[in-house]
Amino acid sequence: MTYAYLFKYIIIGDTGVGKSCLLLQFTDKRFQPVHDLTIGVEFGARMVNIDGKQIKLQIWDTAGQESFRSITRSYYRGAAGALLVYDITRRETFNHLTSWLEDARQHSSSNMVIMLIGNKSDLESRRDVKREEGEAFAREHGLIFMETSAKTACNVEEAFINTAKEIYRKIQQGLFDVHNEANGIKIGPQQCISSSVGPSTSQRNSGDVESNSGCC
Amino acid sequence: MSEKDDIETPVIAEATPTLENGNSEPAKNSECVDQSAKPENKPEPVVSTRKRPESKPSSDLESSEVPPVQETVSKDEPQTGWGYWGSWGKSLLSSASATVATVGQGISNVIEKAETSLGIPSPSEISTEVQYATGETNAKENEKSSPMTGPFGVFSTISTAVHSTGKSVISGGLDALEFIGKKTMDVIAEGDPGFKRTKGLMNRNSTLSQVLREAKEKEEQWTSSEVTMERDKKNHYGLLFDEFQGLSHLEALEMLSRESEIKVKSILNSLSGEELETLKLELEQLKEAFSLAEFCEEEEEEAKGDEDFTKEITELFSQLHVSSKPGKLARARNTAHEWIRTALAKPLEEKEEGENRLEGEKTEQINKNSIEDIHAFAIRSLAELTACSIELFHKTAALVLHGEKQEVTAIERSRTLSQVTIVLCKELSSLSKEFTTCLTTAGVKEKADILNPLITAVFLEASNSASYIQDAFQLLFPVLEISLIESKSEPHELQQAWRPLSEH
Repeated sequence: MTYAYLFKYIIIGDTGVGKSCLLLQFTDKRFQPVHDLTIGVEFGARMVNIDGKQIKLQIWDTAGQESFRSITRSYYRGAAGALLVYDITRRETFNHLTSWLEDARQHSSSNMVIMLIGNKSDLESRRDVKREEGEAFAREHGLIFMETSAKTACNVEEAFINTAKEIYRKIQQGLFDVHNEANGIKIGPQQCISSSVGPSTSQRNSGDVESNSGCC
Repeated sequence: MSEKDDIETPVIAEATPTLENGNSEPAKNSECVDQSAKPENKPEPVVSTRKRPESKPSSDLESSEVPPVQETVSKDEPQTGWGYWGSWGKSLLSSASATVATVGQGISNVIEKAETSLGIPSPSEISTEVQYATGETNAKENEKSSPMTGPFGVFSTISTAVHSTGKSVISGGLDALEFIGKKTMDVIAEGDPGFKRTKGLMNRNSTLSQVLREAKEKEEQWTSSEVTMERDKKNHYGLLFDEFQGLSHLEALEMLSRESEIKVKSILNSLSGEELETLKLELEQLKEAFSLAEFCEEEEEEAKGDEDFTKEITELFSQLHVSSKPGKLARARNTAHEWIRTALAKPLEEKEEGENRLEGEKTEQINKNSIEDIHAFAIRSLAELTACSIELFHKTAALVLHGEKQEVTAIERSRTLSQVTIVLCKELSSLSKEFTTCLTTAGVKEKADILNPLITAVFLEASNSASYIQDAFQLLFPVLEISLIESKSEPHELQQAWRPLSEH
């Protein structure tokens, strides 16, 4: 229940790339192929364990539709991490990355950790964007990169957790002012962090996961 | 209760918004300092009446020991009814953020105070102490600006209410508490037709969600240090409200509201002369729709069926012409009512058996468990309904800003939304009454010092829920202002304003 830190994440990217599916897979460990369109923003939360510390991720899953764009921008503020998602089977979603990135950089803290995600890696036969292209884009813009599949759960945990690790690393380096909530980080209710992970708290405390492990 | 259980599947969109010309971003004048451009004129009384906890970080519970200087309340000022209400919630929340007290403890303090200050006798005392109790209540009424009733302004209203009904209330014992619950809900009704006080909420540095979040964090801290953590957690409104994603939706709604407010200001700053006057006039009309003036009128219909609430709220949402649907809210509400029906049926059976056994200890045990269950479920239901309500307001705000084709005007929407608010608050009121009926029925053999705090807590959280919902409703005001302004603009201009920001 208690946590050392709380990180606010946003998930952004074109409509239909699988943002809500990634969230559902991460929080509920399930895949729902048919999703209604997200209105504005939806929420999810989960506890993860980084370096022996309980960290609560509070995730804002934004609407991808173009017409919601001006509204979803309002939600960017105060995010510590962003998952920028495209669909490896639809090149246009990759092409729009620059515009999403601009938006994200403009409307949130400069220290925000951005994870670029090429989703739907299970659909290898329909691949339209090469893995190398994703890697190159990430390198160029200083992002972390992963390919994931919300359907098979491949790398989903890793994507969320590696982002948290990077944020945590930045905190330790003193790059984030954890006392400024505009950075999307909050210190949890103090003390008794380790004592109260009772049997009742049934969050799956995923252990540390190696970065490039997995199936993709 | 794991986190994952409360993650909702994002499946709310029944309709697909098709329109492409969404919101304009008419940011012609970037900076605006002009306060006079704002539609409302007097934010001052707001601040003084409904202070945020932050403005007074030291424990209110402590300060309640000291005679308050400015916060003297009097029953002769019915128009400050909302103020009473607000200060009640305030006291609760600020006690939560004080160093020692948590919300939970705060509540029990409040409860104790409520009981002592109200002079409600326990059922067992009634027979012997009617005379005395009546006297005490009279005394209470006379010392209405006493330390006790000062900061907890609402109690002075209550004790007045108690007094006005005199002996019948006192001899009613637990009925008195139920009556008080009703009366406290009426305080909303009578309160502040202009609704200016609550409006002031948005002008402050701290937001409602921050306040609630802090309260929740204190609760988290407290519960985590307790051995009986899970059990306690069940009863913590703040934690439950967060689990139902109420806090997140509230925070998101605040973001939309704040952004809209900034836009409105900059638009008003960019206008002048007749154009400005016309717009101001229209915004003033819009503001009236946010006053909740009709609140008092609707009191009569008491016993309403489940279908009526569902029907009423569904109809109101269809009048809004946005694609948000209150299905989740209605389900949560109906579940609560179903539970109450079952709970009310059960203790009666137990009671019959118990009578045969001449108050065997076993019966007491059963009843004891069940009042705790009822209390826990009541708090949970209130938290869930409030979270659902705020989610609906947030979704509505997003859809209004999204600029779906306006078949209805912003004023019409505002009126409908104020109806929605009224319906929701009335529902919370009647739900809390039903829960306390459950508690009184199940706890008929309980000692008052066990039962009364639970009853008071239910009423307290119901009243807090109602004020959260009304605060959330007020957050919609700037959103509808934007909507009104945009409906006046040329579609062409909207496109222009929209483009540069959305282009790839």
